[in-house]
Amino acid sequence: MAANNDSADLEALFDSIASDFTPVAAPAPAPVTSPLPAAGADSDDLQALFDSIAAETVAVQAPAATPAVQVQEGGTMEGAAADNWPKQEAVFNRIGHMARTLHDTLGQLGYDKLVEQTVTALPDAKDRLAYVANLTEQAACRVLNATDIAGPLVDDIENAATALGERWDKAFANQLGVAEFKQLAEETRAYLKDQVPAKTRATHAQLTEIMMAQDFQDLTGQVIKKVVALAQDLEAGLMGALLDVLPETRRTEEVASLMNGPVVNAEGRTDVVVNQEQVDDLLDSLGF
Amino acid sequence: MADPKMRFLVVDDFSTMRRIVRNLLKELGYTNVDEAEDGAIALQKLQAGGFEFVVTDWNMPNMDGLTLLQTIRATPNLKHLPVLMITAEAKKENIIAAAQAGASGYIVKPFTAGTLSEKLNKIFEKMGQA
Repeated sequence: MAANNDSADLEALFDSIASDFTPVAAPAPAPVTSPLPAAGADSDDLQALFDSIAAETVAVQAPAATPAVQVQEGGTMEGAAADNWPKQEAVFNRIGHMARTLHDTLGQLGYDKLVEQTVTALPDAKDRLAYVANLTEQAACRVLNATDIAGPLVDDIENAATALGERWDKAFANQLGVAEFKQLAEETRAYLKDQVPAKTRATHAQLTEIMMAQDFQDLTGQVIKKVVALAQDLEAGLMGALLDVLPETRRTEEVASLMNGPVVNAEGRTDVVVNQEQVDDLLDSLGF
Repeated sequence: MADPKMRFLVVDDFSTMRRIVRNLLKELGYTNVDEAEDGAIALQKLQAGGFEFVVTDWNMPNMDGLTLLQTIRATPNLKHLPVLMITAEAKKENIIAAAQAGASGYIVKPFTAGTLSEKLNKIFEKMGQA
């Protein structure tokens, strides 16, 4: 350990200086000089360790670091009894040791990789989800626009057919004159030859538009699968880290909230409704 | 069917959902529809007056649907307004909370045109009895 080597060197240095100086001067600088360079050396080591960890972890350093510190605290307690506490070297020694163990533990547990992955994967997942939100919104707009266009076309066909039908009813009831009948025949012909085909073609074009608007499904499906896989990896890793530090008693606490969004998986849950009938039944049972 | 000129306020933070509800109301014969994108904006519009029916989502920024409902019920000149909640929140405690706050109806998303029609009619019936 660096602290041990340093303090041994310092001890030797101190001894050599002490032997050159008067016994009175020696005790004063000794306690000060002895720990300080040791601290300097250790903090260089710590700095290097922190830098190396920080470079890998950046954002999620704190949660991942906690379990290792917890583990180390246990070690410190045991070690403290055996070691001679008042000796400052022992403190620096231990801090250096902790930093080393923290670094090693992170590595051994794979948290350093996890954290590294998280840092790179989360912005990526965010972008992917934003992409999904964007595509689905575009699709919704395309479909709504298409129905806005197709609706009136179908209404026109229906209204014109109804109007012509009523006039044909009159014709069959002998209520139309020859000229009127001729005009009705011509209008009906025009309706069948021009209006209906033109409007059904235009409606069909909108149906095609609605169909094509579903092309987002393929793209968002692929993207969502990737994000789900990523979320599963992260969840597994973070759950492992959390279980290491979370006291047993707090592990079952549920997040109680009234704003949870859609129920994604209702299987096995009794606190949610899955359809409108259940909503109505619940309200009925409460007398609302 | 109630008065087709009845003025609706549709409150939802997603424009797509507002558009769908507006279209469904139109198909049911109600064409006098205005929109608000959250509870706070809805409240402003309601205070300005003229609305006879509120259809609201729950989870929205600024002011959520439950707070909007509670505020409406606590405001003397608005408390009579029917408020229909159309929301993805499907926990039983949500439904109970909404009912206790005075919701006139509760529809869970995804929903159908038939459900909307049925709930509207049920609310109109109750209003007619009152």
